[in-house]
Amino acid sequence: MGCLRPKFTHMDEYSEDQRLNDVFTAMADPTRRAILARLAHESARVTELARDFPISLNSTSKHIKILERAGLVVRTINGRDHVLTLNAGPLAEAAEWVQHFERFWDERLAALDQLVSKRRTGAKGTGDG
Amino acid sequence: MAELSAQYQVCVHRTIGAPAGEVFDAWLDAGILAQWMKTRAFTHASAKCDAHEGGAFDIVMHGPEGEIRHVGRYLVIDRPHKLVFTWSSPATGHRDSLVTVEFFGHAGTTDLVVTHRQLPGDACSSHNEGWGDVLERLSHLF
Repeated sequence: MGCLRPKFTHMDEYSEDQRLNDVFTAMADPTRRAILARLAHESARVTELARDFPISLNSTSKHIKILERAGLVVRTINGRDHVLTLNAGPLAEAAEWVQHFERFWDERLAALDQLVSKRRTGAKGTGDG
Repeated sequence: MAELSAQYQVCVHRTIGAPAGEVFDAWLDAGILAQWMKTRAFTHASAKCDAHEGGAFDIVMHGPEGEIRHVGRYLVIDRPHKLVFTWSSPATGHRDSLVTVEFFGHAGTTDLVVTHRQLPGDACSSHNEGWGDVLERLSHLF
C-alpha cells in the first residue's frame, strides 16, 4: 500500500513523462478543458468550435494545437473540414498520476496526524481513520 | 466522463489534532519529517531540510528493495499559514511538480489542505536562472 509504482522509475519512460507534462499543460487552461468536455460528447469541426466558443478562430487553433501535442485530440481532414476527436488515453495517464498522489498524500497526512496528535498529552484525536 | 478539471491536480484535506504552528513545524523539522514522510513499504526515512525560502530539502525513504529519493526547494514559508515547495521524485519522472500546503487553525486542531500539481512544460527552470527568477515565474501558480 502506498509504494511507488515501478512504471515511473524507469528512465526509458522519459518521452512518456514529457507527454504527461504536455497533458497537464493542456489541462491547465479552462478553455481547453471546455473544448475537451465538448469533444467528449461528440467530435466537432474546428470551425464549429471557433463558432461556439467566445474566442477567435486563431485562438481556437492555438488551443487545439496544444491539445494535439498532448495527444488529447486527433484531427481528421475530410476535404476542407478538419474534424477533431477526443483521445482519452492521455487523460487516463493523468488520472493515474492524480490517483497515485492522492493516495500518497492521504497516507502521509494520516501518519502526520497520528504523530503530532500522539505527542500531545491529553489531546483528543480527530478519529478520522 | 469524470470532471476534467479535477484530473490535473491533487487536492487532499485532513483535520490534524494539533495547533497550526506545531503542524507547520512538522513539515520543516528534518527529524520529525523523517518520521511521517515515508510510505508503509519502507522501513525508515531520512531527511534534510534547509528551511528557508529558496532552501532545499532531501527525503530518502529506505526499504528492503532500495531507496527512493524526493527532493525539492521551498518557495514560500509563511508560518503557520502556507508552505509551497517543488517536489521531484521517480513518481514525477524526476521533474519538478508543485506542492502547496495551507494550514487553517481552529482551537487546537488544524485543517490541512495539500494541493499538488504538475508544472506546465514551459515552467521547468533553466540552470542559468536565479532562484528569485524561478520564484517570480511560478508565483502565479500559488
